[in-house]
Amino acid sequence: MSFLDTLYSIINMSLLVAIPLMIVALAGMFSERSGVVNIALEGIMTFGAFFAIFFMSLIYKSSGLNGQSLFFIGIFIAIIIGMLFSLLHAYASVNMSANQIISATALNMFAPAFAIFLAKAITGYSKIQFPNNSFFIRSIPILSDIPVLGPILFSNTFITIYIGIAILIVSYITIYKTRFGLRLRSCGEYPQAADAAGINVKKIRYLGVVISGALGGLGGLFYIVPITGIYDATFSANGYGFLALAVLISGQWKPFRILLFSLLFGFFSKISNMTSMIPFLSNMNIPGEILSIIPYIVTIIVLIFTSKNSQGPKAAGEPYDAGKR
Amino acid sequence: MKKVLVLLFVLSFGVILSACTQKTYELALVTDVGTIDDGSFNQGAWEGLKAFAEDNDISYKYYQPSADSTDARVATIELAIENGATTVVTPGYMFENAIWLVQSDHPDVNFIFLDGSPSNVSGWDDQGNPILLTGETAADFTVEDNVLPIFYKEQEAGFLAGYAAVMDGNTKLGFVGGMAVPAVVRFGYGYIQGAAYAAEELELTAPVEVVYWYSGVFWADNTVSDKAASWFTTGTEVIFAAAGGAGASVMSAAEQATDGKVIGVDIDQKDASETVITSAMKELANSVYAALESIYDETFVGGTAWNLGSVEDGVGLPQDFTRFDTFDQADYDAIFALLTAGTVVVSGDITVDADSFDSDYVTVIVE
Repeated sequence: MSFLDTLYSIINMSLLVAIPLMIVALAGMFSERSGVVNIALEGIMTFGAFFAIFFMSLIYKSSGLNGQSLFFIGIFIAIIIGMLFSLLHAYASVNMSANQIISATALNMFAPAFAIFLAKAITGYSKIQFPNNSFFIRSIPILSDIPVLGPILFSNTFITIYIGIAILIVSYITIYKTRFGLRLRSCGEYPQAADAAGINVKKIRYLGVVISGALGGLGGLFYIVPITGIYDATFSANGYGFLALAVLISGQWKPFRILLFSLLFGFFSKISNMTSMIPFLSNMNIPGEILSIIPYIVTIIVLIFTSKNSQGPKAAGEPYDAGKR
Repeated sequence: MKKVLVLLFVLSFGVILSACTQKTYELALVTDVGTIDDGSFNQGAWEGLKAFAEDNDISYKYYQPSADSTDARVATIELAIENGATTVVTPGYMFENAIWLVQSDHPDVNFIFLDGSPSNVSGWDDQGNPILLTGETAADFTVEDNVLPIFYKEQEAGFLAGYAAVMDGNTKLGFVGGMAVPAVVRFGYGYIQGAAYAAEELELTAPVEVVYWYSGVFWADNTVSDKAASWFTTGTEVIFAAAGGAGASVMSAAEQATDGKVIGVDIDQKDASETVITSAMKELANSVYAALESIYDETFVGGTAWNLGSVEDGVGLPQDFTRFDTFDQADYDAIFALLTAGTVVVSGDITVDADSFDSDYVTVIVE
């Protein structure tokens, strides 16, 4: 295997972890840009993934449907469930003016427990087997022969990465080029002014959180599909919901910077997991423990440098109080 | 509205409470930390218990401790006994302290303890001295008469798996262990010895290569799928996944690789993935069944451990060889006979480091 092949292969695999991370960080972005801090992403990921996989497994067992059409059903369910679940957070933080951190923490604790409970109540097991490998795309005819891009984007992959790229572009346009995006940002910066200008702050914040839920649920599903065909609600998001928050902050709440830091993390985590493919690294005999902390160290270092001049939405985390100035 | 809700709550509590009273369960299984359907240890033990209970019409139930701690395990065992358990099955070495703490308090309750033996030692320090439970002054390994520890010769199961893999024409092998706990270490060590034995028998000129790694997790994780994927891309042909739920990630990687194969662990895992060619099994269900039988026959002898190997049919590969290229029933029976006859002896010495394994026929690369 040549050096370039190895590099392509690692980038190819990095995308499978970077894209879900990016989607979840974008989820956080929509929420925080509207003024609601959403650390419930971990819980939303678990919930979206659980219901999507649960229904996919049911459909697969009853009708034998598999492949991309089944996956699309799962994607649809993950989005819907993510939206519904995030409504709880929206209600607590927008209508009830509750502390957003506490509300979100409650959801994080609730989600995995409830998923396990439900799985056991319905099936008697906390594990769900689903045909994840029928979603796998070995290669796309013609496109996979393109040099560089072929091996990176169009072979040995999942449809998740194309959807992720589409989400990135749509998010960028939504945030910066639409009226809704402008309103969303204004509600996160100075809701009183937005209100004075005739914007319904509550409605916009609701929308922000619900979009966040949709993307969070989707990200949860996308994270789990490439890595296992036996879903276990106990270990669903593996902390990636929190990692996405770090990416969100490093990425300064901006879509393309979020992509950049997701790729950075994805790439370093693959490097540390796949040293045996990289001769000069495997020859150095670095202990596995050291290798596996590298991506997190990189994240912390990046956070230290970027958060100094961090420009988060000013009103994020504050319940909207129309009487305050 | 609120009153209606309160009323509903009160009513549902009433229903739950009345449902809970007076129901006892004679046979109980307490899971270690995982779930009853872990596709591995808890599940195997549970299948044996369930089969025995259903065959003999005995009430049974499983309990999952609320946390990964000895306190939680003790509390769960006590709960099972309170609910009427006369026999408690505890799968996994994690129960060593818990069983030690409860065994003398409940002389009337039998404990079937898989893969461990009661002790008050909670760990070992760097010098190899025991770390004792709080308040204890000397290490104690007493096994009361109501406790039956059951051990398996994992090294023999691993040996058979490694042997079959190499006899089937593979020369680049992988081993993913969950953690370096004794049972997993023995699997891995046996696997290497089996590979070496087969390579010697085949008179291979180049040594068989075994890449060897402890994932640190027993659940699905992308570090595991990445590691397996990188091994498959660099030429590893078959990976023995002795890592509980993390095995599923190895299987996913195998299916996504062009030609990846997996060896399952503990129970027959062929249904989990098409890529699973065989499994290094412990006959958990059989041994739990046999132990329960001895209790109900009143032939139960506690206090000393069962140590089950190929001779007792305690370990082995599943009797389905269709996913191998050439290795078949006859080959398996031949090597199994050598094991039971004692012609081939597999070392289960857990103090041997995998990378210091010395053989002309195997090179071990520890990652």
